Amino acid sequence: MKFTYSWLKEHLETEHQYNEVVDKLTAIGLEVESVQDTGLAYRDFIVGQVLEEEKHPNADKLKLCKVDIGREKVDVVCGAPNVTKGMKVVYAPVGSVIPVNQMKIKAAKIRGVESYGMMCSEYELGISNEHDGIISLEQDKEVGSSFADSSGMNDILIEIGITPNRQDCLGVLGVARDLAAAGVGKLKNREFKTEKGSFESPIKIEIQDNDICPAFAGCYIKNVKNVASPDWLQKKLKSIGLRPISALVDITNYVMFDQNRPLHVYDADKVKGKIIVRSAQDGESFKALDEKTYNLKKGMCTISDEEKVLGLGGIMGGESTGCNFDTINVLLESALFDNVNTARTGRDLSILSDARYRFERGIDPRSTLEGIHYATQLILEICGGECSEIVLAGQISETLNTIHISGKNIVKRLGLEITDDEIILILNSLGFGAKKSGESIHCTIPSWRQDIHGEADISEEIIRIKGYENIPTSNIRAISKVNKDILNSTQKIISKAKHFIASEGYNEFITFSFSDSKKSIFFGEVEKLKIINPISEDLDILRPSLIPNLLASIKKNTVRGIDSLSIFEAGSQYSSTTPEDQINSICGVKYGLSNSKTWRSEKKEFDIFDVKNDLLNVINYLVPGNKKISISDEAPSWYHPGRSGKIILNKKIEIGYFGELHPRIANKFKIKTRVNLFELMIDNVPLTEKNTTNKPQLILSDFQSVTRDFAFILDKDVKSSDLIKAALNVDTKIIKSAEIFDLFEDKSLGDDKKSMAIKVILQSEEKTLDENEINSLSSKIVEAIEKSTSGTVRS
Amino acid sequence: MVDFIKLEQEITNSLSKVTDLESLNECRIKYLGKKGEISLLMKELSNLSGEDRKKQAEILNTLKNKILSLIEEKTEELNDRNLNEKLSSETLDVTLPVSSSFGSIHPITQVIEEVVTIFGDLDFYVAEGPEVETDYNNFTALNTSEHHPARQMHDTFYVETQTDNMQNVLRTHTSPVQIRSMLEHKPPIRLIAPGKTFRCDNDQTHSPMFHQVEGLVIDQESNMSHLKGCLEIFLKTFFETDKLKMRFRPSHFPFTEPSAEVDIGYTKKGNQLVIGEGDDWLEILGCGMVHPKVLQNVNIDPSSFQGYAFGMGIERLAMLKYGISDLRTFFECDLRWNKHYGFSPLNFPSLIRDLS
Repeated sequence: MKFTYSWLKEHLETEHQYNEVVDKLTAIGLEVESVQDTGLAYRDFIVGQVLEEEKHPNADKLKLCKVDIGREKVDVVCGAPNVTKGMKVVYAPVGSVIPVNQMKIKAAKIRGVESYGMMCSEYELGISNEHDGIISLEQDKEVGSSFADSSGMNDILIEIGITPNRQDCLGVLGVARDLAAAGVGKLKNREFKTEKGSFESPIKIEIQDNDICPAFAGCYIKNVKNVASPDWLQKKLKSIGLRPISALVDITNYVMFDQNRPLHVYDADKVKGKIIVRSAQDGESFKALDEKTYNLKKGMCTISDEEKVLGLGGIMGGESTGCNFDTINVLLESALFDNVNTARTGRDLSILSDARYRFERGIDPRSTLEGIHYATQLILEICGGECSEIVLAGQISETLNTIHISGKNIVKRLGLEITDDEIILILNSLGFGAKKSGESIHCTIPSWRQDIHGEADISEEIIRIKGYENIPTSNIRAISKVNKDILNSTQKIISKAKHFIASEGYNEFITFSFSDSKKSIFFGEVEKLKIINPISEDLDILRPSLIPNLLASIKKNTVRGIDSLSIFEAGSQYSSTTPEDQINSICGVKYGLSNSKTWRSEKKEFDIFDVKNDLLNVINYLVPGNKKISISDEAPSWYHPGRSGKIILNKKIEIGYFGELHPRIANKFKIKTRVNLFELMIDNVPLTEKNTTNKPQLILSDFQSVTRDFAFILDKDVKSSDLIKAALNVDTKIIKSAEIFDLFEDKSLGDDKKSMAIKVILQSEEKTLDENEINSLSSKIVEAIEKSTSGTVRS
Repeated sequence: MVDFIKLEQEITNSLSKVTDLESLNECRIKYLGKKGEISLLMKELSNLSGEDRKKQAEILNTLKNKILSLIEEKTEELNDRNLNEKLSSETLDVTLPVSSSFGSIHPITQVIEEVVTIFGDLDFYVAEGPEVETDYNNFTALNTSEHHPARQMHDTFYVETQTDNMQNVLRTHTSPVQIRSMLEHKPPIRLIAPGKTFRCDNDQTHSPMFHQVEGLVIDQESNMSHLKGCLEIFLKTFFETDKLKMRFRPSHFPFTEPSAEVDIGYTKKGNQLVIGEGDDWLEILGCGMVHPKVLQNVNIDPSSFQGYAFGMGIERLAMLKYGISDLRTFFECDLRWNKHYGFSPLNFPSLIRDLS
């Protein structure tokens, strides 16, 4: 909310400087968002008087003026049609800056005549759009004086953020009231007359639904003359950035910003019959003051006459009964509207208005009559006319809510020692009628505080005024621990996995949890993942997989010339949009060059064995100890069918996948090079409880080991794992390891054949193996492999 | 009688002329080999007798030992010369480049781990909740009814599923984890809940996805002074400065009462923000005493239990601590950014080593 310091001082009598007041506002919860010295832009402008005025010798439309600016008399060339001798003007000297366009005034020759400075229009000063002529100041302004000082332009514009609970401070009066409570001044009692109407309002008011509108007060004012608002009112509205329209409208706006009392004024001659406040009917529509037509629904609060809808209660008036400069008779409205209904209607129709903003937060019921009296008085003063008696439909509740609070509880909540007497003092300064009542304190909640319901609310009031800086600082280190573990097993796994994977060369990316349904169809059921109101068309679902967003990032980086990309993301993917269907996953991508060509190595591209290696390493790290890992070629459909695998832990747990991205998908993402990736299904990593911190016993053989190599000619589709398995199974005790060390394909072997060589290490834990034993084992290995693979050993 | 003196001279001479290990070996064989001159003389000793044999044997042994030591000397000299020759031919250009292949940890992960480390030390456990939430957990249970004005400030994303006839949402803050945790555990409760949050907002200073960390303490006595104490330890430890200035000011959140926003003091030096110096204030987090209605909603009796909650933005913490100027760059996936602002994978935040 915006207001000026001078406006605030109309309600607050204070000796304090504005900066002290500004600090206090923030300290009591009315956070100051900006402070602007509005006079600053006009600092250099001086009141001048035109002494002489004659035609420019070389230009028909220009005039040569001699202007008295107090300290000297200057020559100014002026193009304004209204400049006349003796006129008091706003003079911008050489060096000053014109607010509207930030132009710096220089001494210049205009059509051959020297001109020093400029005389300004309202437009140039940013005061209004008036640019047909220069400003003519009142004759009582002193020549040579500061324009800002003499015209009241020196002011401080303060903008504060009002939290949703502080509806009471949506008017300058409320802000002043809170400041007074906080001790920076005294609230002024602004007197205004209560006009006794001289006749009965010809327009009657009927409320059909008291739930949506508990009270509606009206005042009929006849024979008004709707004029442009007087200077003081225009200036006030402009000072907070509002555009003056006409006196009738400006008065209602002024009362709203000053007293936090929304009002509405109807052109009474356009109202047919009586005013009826009722729930809208489905299918009704109405054209509002913003010139838009709204379709109404049952339950919305409408102000109608006997023919049509005139306005939406608490939100916006209608065009049909709007006031203009021809308006003669008016009906002034001051009503109470239900906050929940106002919020719902405003939201359903997407109407943001100052009235809605206030009513949905709650309005002081007592402002209903005060506001209508104050506005009536202003209308009579400015527009003339004669007012009716106030007609009130419905009821304004006179009773105030009360609660009992305990000083002890307040102390316990705040952690601050404060006496009951001080609590009572603070509450009374805020307008709560507070008094001791036995052990407790009895509080009467002021009508303007719609946000106070319980003791907790009261505790905030007390500490707000007492000052948050007075809360002591207490030690929170617990004497006895509350929690056994800080991180649970899954959290530990994710953290360890992230660091491990990064140590393998991957850079951690975090992408949006949303993705593009069109590009995600390969990864899941996108129709189950829709966001109703997505931020953009290409972020319209929750991601079914981490992969699509990482793929999108590949393109972004390759266009920047990056030819090697190792990236991973750890995060959630979704199988539906229910809270339960969130899956923890990690996806790693290696793309492009594994090695660039360097002075000591040839260039090499990443392949699926790079990501397989990385995935197996991280699994071994996360699942230490004995385990069985097997690899099958049944990876999900988004992988290349012939270049991908699935890692199975302990025969049944699908712990991860690796391989090349399916070329069809790569194509969709416009990626031309092979993409290698792995996925680690975090939720499938077994959460093993540590039974012991001991490592398994280490058994080392002191007897010599023997290495034997065997090569086989095999059908191409024979898997290396079959060879290794066959070899190891020959003697699980003596055969310590079996590894593939050579692989090649050659025409000489036959088109569908390959050669694979295996290195086997033999070692007994009981003795040194002799030649016979070694030969016998060797034959058994060859035999076993030949049998299981239908291959032949190469001699 | 052999002229031993002459023989010795002859041997010494020929050894001194040797220039390589091969010739040296030939020399050794010539004199000391099985059929070498000295060896033959040794054999002849058996033909002698008495004193002569003893005397001659002594002379021969002395000569043999002398030759052995001369050969050893020569071997060393030749080896040394060979090594020097080798060394002078083995220079490499040590300025040739090598490459490293470590990846990096994202600043968001780093900051969350720092936050967890600090609060873990204060006995807070890490709670988590789903990113898709029920309307009830995200709003209603947190004392934010359907038409509460605070809801409109939240720009909520809605999804197509429902819970209890209300549209599910992408959580707009990490506060629903409070609700889930309080329903699951009875007090005393001390938790933090870091995680992703979502708001339908996308401009210079807003991202539709961002991260928050929530804190919650519920027991029988925790009050605002404990809240102050808690945040003071956290902020000083996190920003790694004891000079940190902290300011509480009143604010409003539907789920806390009293509510506060916390500012920290800073100054600007050039393009850098210096936390802990200067007189300017920067908003860093929101907090307050948990609203009694929230406790009632999770079946905790507010007349017996009370406590505080706080929430802050991880990106904001990261930006302030690490001098990252643009919020949106966190999720832009520009490898150059990640390498520049990322952290070593071996860098586990720790209070006994380094936090960052």
